[in-house]
Amino acid sequence: MSRYLQRWTTPRGIAAQVAILLGVALAIVILISANQTQALVLGLGAGALIAALALSITLNYQGSGVVNFSVGAMAMYASYIYFGLRTDGKLFLPPIPNPLALIEGVVHLFGAPGFRLPAFPAFISVSNGGSTSYSYGAAIKTAAMSAPEAMVIALAECAVLGLLFHLLIFRPLRKAPVLAKVVASIGLFILLQEIVVLRFGSDAQTVSPILPQHPVSLPRGIHIPSDQLFLTAIVILVTFLLWGIFKYTRYGIATRAAAENEKGSLILGFSPDFLAGVNWVGSTVLVGLFGILIGPINQSIDPYTVTLLVIPALAAALLARFTSFSVTVIAGLGIGMASSWIQYITNQSWFPKVGGAALPGLSDALPFVIIIVVLMLRGKSLPTRGSIETIKLPFAPKAKRALPSTALFTIVAAVLLFVVTPDWRLAIVNATVGAVICLSLVVLTGYVGQISLMQMALAGMSGFTLSKVADAYHIPFPIGPLLGAVVAVGVGLLAGIPALRVRGVNLAVATFAAAMTIQSVVLGNPAWSGTNGASVAPPSMFGVTFGPNQPWSKIFGGGKGLLPNPWFGVFCLVVLALLILGVVNIRRSRTGRQMLAVRANERAAAAAGVSVSGTKILAFAISAFIAGIGGALSGYRFGSVTADYFGAVPSMLFLAFAYLGGISSVSGAVVGGMLVAGGISTMILTSWLHVSDQYTLLIAGTGLILMAIFNPQGVAGGIRELSHSLQARRHAKRGEQPEVELQEVSS
Amino acid sequence: MTTMLSTTGLTVTFGVNKAVDDLDLVVEAGQLVGLIGPNGAGKTTTVDAISGFVPCRGEVDFLGTSMTSLSATARARAGLGRTWQSSELFDDLTVLENLQVAAEKISTKGFLRDLVNPRNDDVEALEKILASVDLLAAKNQLPTELSHGQRKLVGVARALAASPAVLCMDEPAAGLDSTESLELGGRIRSLVDGGLSVLLIDHDMGLVLTVCDVIYVLDFGRLIAKGTPEEIRSSPAVIEAYLGGGSDA
Repeated sequence: MSRYLQRWTTPRGIAAQVAILLGVALAIVILISANQTQALVLGLGAGALIAALALSITLNYQGSGVVNFSVGAMAMYASYIYFGLRTDGKLFLPPIPNPLALIEGVVHLFGAPGFRLPAFPAFISVSNGGSTSYSYGAAIKTAAMSAPEAMVIALAECAVLGLLFHLLIFRPLRKAPVLAKVVASIGLFILLQEIVVLRFGSDAQTVSPILPQHPVSLPRGIHIPSDQLFLTAIVILVTFLLWGIFKYTRYGIATRAAAENEKGSLILGFSPDFLAGVNWVGSTVLVGLFGILIGPINQSIDPYTVTLLVIPALAAALLARFTSFSVTVIAGLGIGMASSWIQYITNQSWFPKVGGAALPGLSDALPFVIIIVVLMLRGKSLPTRGSIETIKLPFAPKAKRALPSTALFTIVAAVLLFVVTPDWRLAIVNATVGAVICLSLVVLTGYVGQISLMQMALAGMSGFTLSKVADAYHIPFPIGPLLGAVVAVGVGLLAGIPALRVRGVNLAVATFAAAMTIQSVVLGNPAWSGTNGASVAPPSMFGVTFGPNQPWSKIFGGGKGLLPNPWFGVFCLVVLALLILGVVNIRRSRTGRQMLAVRANERAAAAAGVSVSGTKILAFAISAFIAGIGGALSGYRFGSVTADYFGAVPSMLFLAFAYLGGISSVSGAVVGGMLVAGGISTMILTSWLHVSDQYTLLIAGTGLILMAIFNPQGVAGGIRELSHSLQARRHAKRGEQPEVELQEVSS
Repeated sequence: MTTMLSTTGLTVTFGVNKAVDDLDLVVEAGQLVGLIGPNGAGKTTTVDAISGFVPCRGEVDFLGTSMTSLSATARARAGLGRTWQSSELFDDLTVLENLQVAAEKISTKGFLRDLVNPRNDDVEALEKILASVDLLAAKNQLPTELSHGQRKLVGVARALAASPAVLCMDEPAAGLDSTESLELGGRIRSLVDGGLSVLLIDHDMGLVLTVCDVIYVLDFGRLIAKGTPEEIRSSPAVIEAYLGGGSDA
């Protein structure tokens, strides 16, 4: 029996299962209804793109051990390169850091906001066919360049970009922890998306057809546009090509060897570095090609849709264990077709409706469901030792003098709330709420090493619950947020169950898919959350309402009425302080020691009598609870809970900010909170340096990449190290033995 | 004598290879049992199977109860301790904290108390263990700052911190020079004299023949000899396994 099961859990076995399941599903659908079959085949185009993205993910993983969260963004970026060339004959450039900007910043500081020095160009004219204006209207213009020309240039740029990504970002990260690679690819995701938004705006652009678009008739009146067929054929061709290369050429064999052990490729005469570079170029060109070709099939391009297809693509790649090309492509095509079919059936009259409308987002939930099912099928994994596959995280120090420093920090921040201008006050509130979310990641990722990309979605679930219980059952203030946090714990555990079977980056993928599901099915559902998000009533206790928009009596004079209400900020600060002290105590206690033991070495932890799964579940619960409290605070802060603010991408951003601050220490969470969008760092950029709002995310993305490469300890860790080296130097000067504080010296 | 640990028909299969084949092994109370064999004989796999880190067939009994369906964690908590060939310390925790992890048992009530008032109990007992392996001075150091030999001793101390009834030691002497190895042998002997039962695994016969009461010899996963050190020294099968294959005696 167990041998039978074993055979079914090999990659080939899973491929067979997937093929059988898909085959059966397909047969049923085709037998039942021609309309459903039509819906199914219309998903081929999207399926081909998902398959291509998944292939690229697999190539990157094989070549350099990076699970690239930015493949969708790369495909999207390529489609815009092509679009710019084809419609206007112009190649757009990313904003290049301008050394003159520093001078400009200083001048602005002294109040001359109109002052502008020459900047780098935004576009290079490649063909003279385009108009001189840089505006990109929705209407199709007369093409400035032929499709093949534009495509060749765009793909050439993709090749260059792929090489640059390898050389500048992922080669320096070759020996870095998995988390650093994940964060760098998140940074790249943000960077690519923001560059496009900056150059073209966030509205959709219409693109002209590339592949022939005549309907091909199939039996029973089913039609399929020929471009989708072409795209599918291309992806299958690419798969065969890759399969051949990896099976029969020395290059491919060396890459496979390098994925196992870098020495393997050296024996075959290839440097792992060269292989990684080639795979980066190849995979970027591949996603670029499909990004360009999918545009006309979707009828338009925008900075978001294709970017987020990374989630189903990751599901497909995970299904194939980041190794098998054939399973990847079958899974990718299958997900694309199934999504299209789900969209069709949810719109049918017989399908259950919510508030009179079709339940949205079910197709977005598909990757998550697939991931969970696959992880369940693969059976329980035994504890293994920590290796390159898992994560080596920054040192997690025990906080010293936590009570006085937390109290001091809280009091200073609280006093600031009453004396600063309203936008700074709002920034302090944003930073406080952000720090709470980052703190939830300190417990889960910092202490136990489980990468979660769903913290904001959990926060959103809590805020959503808070909104609903206050609305429907008039549950008063302290109970509402606690109830919300409990719901977040429930959802967190539900999505965290696969954590017991996977670790490292696979868990990141699973939680990312979970966040997308929560975003689409719950928070983005107009029937449940309204069109502007679920509204949250301000907190109130003993007849006093202290929401951010309740004016409070002025304390330090001034006629501003003190909005947002500083007392709301104080409330947030007190909550943060309590949570901080709780987390500090966890780190000091047996619970924290067991968490760090699991993080360091699961096998040895089990042998020491620590329940590895129990510790992970506990961490998931604590983390979800903290995130839930953060969600409730956020809900109060905005007065509503929206899918935009609590979705998958914000969840991803928060992991990145928490990492940037210092993911394994409480002080890192506070720094992370200051860095979040709308926090202290945003205020410094916009109000002191007069950097335009639109650049803040761009700077954040760049910062993430740089930080992942140069300072994996995070800002807080960096400061800690610096203070230690200064301390050591001071002692050395006095001729004393340095007071060794082993608890805080980095390992 | 009472039987502390026994295996019956223990078999571990990797693909088509039987890493351990039908092994019957007994550790009596207060005994120091050696398990030796050339490289790849299946010694570490045996320990992995006994401690629950490798799926196996056959029976593992500990203090009269079957361990076969229990997880690695549950076996450790029942008092079946083990050490690792490569120490496998928690590098992010200090030496003392490494021991604390093994000594402490977690509970929901304990966790809630920890949130409000984290306490460290029983540090004296752990310091006593550290002192017994001359590592008390290093208690606040990180494992990465220690020498290889010291790390191995921390691994042993950590296993002892859980107060096991039986301790399986996986090549504690690997990487130590002959003086250190003999010193370690003396330490293990004194643990056994203090009432602990030990299953000692090594591929070097020297240490095992000097300190053990009973010795099992594995080759290609099969038991080829069993007996007192004298019996093992004169066993033709053992001589064949160690010398017959070539020069790597």
